[in-house]
Amino acid sequence: MKFQKKRCVAMLLAGGQGSRLLCLTENTAKPAVPFGGKYRIIDFPLSNCVNSGIDTVGILTQYQPLELNEYVGNGAPWGLNRNHGGVQILPPFQRSKRSEWYKGTANAIYQNMRFIDRYDPDDVLILSGDHIYKMDYAKMLDFHKDSGADCTIAVRNVPLEEASRFGIMNTNEDGSVYEFEEKPKKPKSTNASMGIYAFRWPVLRKFLIDDEEDPKSDNDFGKNVIPAMLNAGLKLYAYRFDSYWKDVGTIKSLWDANMDLLGDTPAFDLGGKDKIYSRSSAMPGARLAATSVTSNCLIAEGCEVNGTIRDSIVSYGCTIAEGAEVERSVLMPDVVVGPGAVVKNAIVGEGTVIGEGAQIGAAQVLKDENDRKITVIGKDHEIEAGALVKPGEVI
Amino acid sequence: MMNAVGIIFSNIYDNALSELTRERTVASLPFAARYRQVDFILSDMSNSGIQHIGIVTKYNYRSLMDHLGSCAEWDLNLKNNGLVILAPYATSHSGIYRGKLEALYNSLDYLQHADEEYVILSDSVAVCAIDFRKVMEEHEDSGCDVTVVVTPYKSNQEKQFPVAVELDAKGNVRDMGIDVSLRDDLGGMGIYVMRREALIEAVKRCAIRGRYHLERDYLLREFNKGDMSIHAYVYRGTALFNFSTIDYYQNSMALLDPEIFHGIFDQRGLTIYTKVRDQVPTYFGEASKIDDCIVADGCRLLGSAEHSIIFRGVTIAKSAKVKDCILMQGCVISEGAELEGMILDKDVVVRPYTVLKGTREHPMIIEKGANI
Repeated sequence: MKFQKKRCVAMLLAGGQGSRLLCLTENTAKPAVPFGGKYRIIDFPLSNCVNSGIDTVGILTQYQPLELNEYVGNGAPWGLNRNHGGVQILPPFQRSKRSEWYKGTANAIYQNMRFIDRYDPDDVLILSGDHIYKMDYAKMLDFHKDSGADCTIAVRNVPLEEASRFGIMNTNEDGSVYEFEEKPKKPKSTNASMGIYAFRWPVLRKFLIDDEEDPKSDNDFGKNVIPAMLNAGLKLYAYRFDSYWKDVGTIKSLWDANMDLLGDTPAFDLGGKDKIYSRSSAMPGARLAATSVTSNCLIAEGCEVNGTIRDSIVSYGCTIAEGAEVERSVLMPDVVVGPGAVVKNAIVGEGTVIGEGAQIGAAQVLKDENDRKITVIGKDHEIEAGALVKPGEVI
Repeated sequence: MMNAVGIIFSNIYDNALSELTRERTVASLPFAARYRQVDFILSDMSNSGIQHIGIVTKYNYRSLMDHLGSCAEWDLNLKNNGLVILAPYATSHSGIYRGKLEALYNSLDYLQHADEEYVILSDSVAVCAIDFRKVMEEHEDSGCDVTVVVTPYKSNQEKQFPVAVELDAKGNVRDMGIDVSLRDDLGGMGIYVMRREALIEAVKRCAIRGRYHLERDYLLREFNKGDMSIHAYVYRGTALFNFSTIDYYQNSMALLDPEIFHGIFDQRGLTIYTKVRDQVPTYFGEASKIDDCIVADGCRLLGSAEHSIIFRGVTIAKSAKVKDCILMQGCVISEGAELEGMILDKDVVVRPYTVLKGTREHPMIIEKGANI
């Protein structure tokens, strides 16, 4: 089969364990973690690709890939079931001489150079599987082309006091990067890398081969490849993106990002012209009983609400029994909250059943936001009737 | 896979649902907050392993085609067979059809090219989760020529069914009538099983004699002559029939009864599928008061609603009040508006402080896209 040339191939890094999401990623890869009532994290970069006109996406998987593979399937929910291109899951594989796991982000791409070569792309877009945002990659790729850059890095302005947690791009006035500092103690600027890179493929290809030959390298884009390109005097540009973007790598940030969907004018609006697509759960409409109380919440289809929900995200297929209270919480799909149970400031994993009268993170007095302790219950747990789960506990 | 072709008629009863079917088939009538009527029978057939299905259309079928798309949602985008829309075509010896037999005559080659032994014919008015494998099993065991699917109907309100039957001890039909009003009897669900070859013969025979009505000109006629044995499969699950506008309204409201709701939507292995619209989950505002409602995705509900069916993408503004209503996809209820006993077709915009009142007995219908 002859492959059509593609202007751009997107490579989505989805192999990380996501250990900071604790029990939520015990048996599943981070990109497959449910988000926002009916989505999974991977829906965001995948939908962005489709909405940006990118129809060839490789997904690099490694950790607990079963659920992710099943979820992505043939890519039809995103319109990525294509004869030419489409979505392709790329796990590490055995070779004739040696076989190995993906050692780092750069190595993962290195091991799949043949996949990219088949499409002979001008550019390769490197994406992360743990970000919540809507971005038109086409604009970034246009900027990349117009500036004649070898590599363009999406950056956003972060508060100075937080800058030392990020990779910081120090740029000239025209946006060209003269220095990259990984988590600097004294940041010179506040342009934080978002982990989204556009590379000219022939250039990246060469650097990946060189990087692979360096035994001291961690085979990481941020740590190794970008600095090597800078040292070699290549043209690197920063592309400013200041719309909503959130790395949901921690429990707090995952909870925050979910809460950002709430309000009359939410910080992050899931609706609008550029839709976020997801694999549908085929459930009937939500049923709200006469006893239900709902205030400032998202409730997806297939739910049965008899109790009270305030300031929360309730995913599809959840049941909130009579007298139950859910507040400032994220319920992942198919959670059952038993009669009279209370769930506050919590993230509850898929399929978990909370018994009658159980108290989850309930008795919490908040002086300010920093006090908030988020209680986390993993997937498919059964919390006994009357059980008391303390604020901040992780099960 | 089942040894049967499914044929679904999309236009029967269009007239009885006048306003609601002016620009669509009965099959594509929105029902139960996110479905179209055809979703139920189509999902049932697919869930029962029927992988060869034709949908017979007559007119107004664009919305149906849009809804069905590639049929991937029903797992019917198959290499072999799958779902086909049997659009009407007039040849020198056939006009636009008058009844099911004439419709089938128009699609005779579709039936002839199938190689399944049986045909399951169905209208698209029945809302139920029926397992056709059980129907087929009983049909084969009965040894009868035809099986009609019937359901016990009991109500103080009379309802006209396409077929009514009395059964003998073996569950075979002893007496049969068509277009009968029932109170407490076995009513036909518009679903029939028979051998494909026999149906083809009947369609040809009836066509030359100018007969076109399946129940009257074929089933009842042959049965009365003693040339046809008919078995009845009694379906005892939940079933709703939208034969008329008032049926449609009352059945929609009946879904608010959890028992009826679960009887249709929570049957193991019989998931009801519909077209995916990629809507966001529904937002319930801070001051929202939504009681005794079924709500689909993609809505913004800031005001109050009671005892209502709310389809995808509906907006209810702050201080708007909705009671005993069916709000189809994309309706906007502006602030201060008050609605009671209404059926709003798709994309109706109700302006601020408008008051609209129908009753539970006589709901008022507002046509698609109206701005009032």
